[in-house]
Amino acid sequence: MAENRVATSKVAGTWAWAFQRLSAVLLIIFLAMHLYASHFMDVSEETSGESLITFDEVSIRLDQLLYIVVDYGMLSMVLLHGLNGLRTVLFDFDMFVKRRKLIDVGLWVVGVATLIWGIVILFPFITNGG
Amino acid sequence: MKISSFKWLFGKNSEFWPTNMKTGMWAWVGHRLTGLVLVAYVFLHLSFISTASMAEGGADFDTLMATTSQPLFVAMDFLLVIVVIYHAMNGLRVVLFDLGIGIRRQKLVFWVTMAVAAILIVGGLLAIWHLVFPEGGA
Repeated sequence: MAENRVATSKVAGTWAWAFQRLSAVLLIIFLAMHLYASHFMDVSEETSGESLITFDEVSIRLDQLLYIVVDYGMLSMVLLHGLNGLRTVLFDFDMFVKRRKLIDVGLWVVGVATLIWGIVILFPFITNGG
Repeated sequence: MKISSFKWLFGKNSEFWPTNMKTGMWAWVGHRLTGLVLVAYVFLHLSFISTASMAEGGADFDTLMATTSQPLFVAMDFLLVIVVIYHAMNGLRVVLFDLGIGIRRQKLVFWVTMAVAAILIVGGLLAIWHLVFPEGGA
């Protein structure tokens, strides 16, 4: 290993490592649910047999708390897994390891901001009334 | 930042030079590249849906869904299917090794997970075939 590289495990942390594995398994399950709900499930008689996703169809689904929890749970896992993965990739570069604090804070800001954005995105579907 | 600082990444003696890489290293590089693609995709996915869902009654959302179900977009979705399935299956392999499963048969586990990935990718192709080639009939 080249001299200017540091073992990832020494920089990224054990919790980040463990969480990356847990969220990975959860994401496989969430992704299967997401694809099934969006593309294969019929939510009402009017939309049955239609392969096209419509605003009304999504609204009907998001009238139920379960779908909101699943959608938002998936978004949380995607962000934590994706941004934590990005962090691992960045920490393979010396110049980013030197700015570890800045990157950690920056990625948390992006993650939290995107989670708030997620509420904004869900809002029109939830308030549509189905 | 000097160019020479990246010798470990690009040089002929680097562990990433194609002829220096073995199966596990290719898998690792592939995992990182697909991971970066997926992070970019997630933010595109969110921003397109966010913009389109603003209009009252969801007219823009329905237009977006009609556009993205055109053959060209569905064909691009297939690239996403490949990227996601590779990342998921190779990730599963990493998790298995971390749990201590299959470490003595690393190469075999790699090819088994890739075989499962190939089957899933074919399944994905069959599921979207009628959208890419509407005339053909599924």
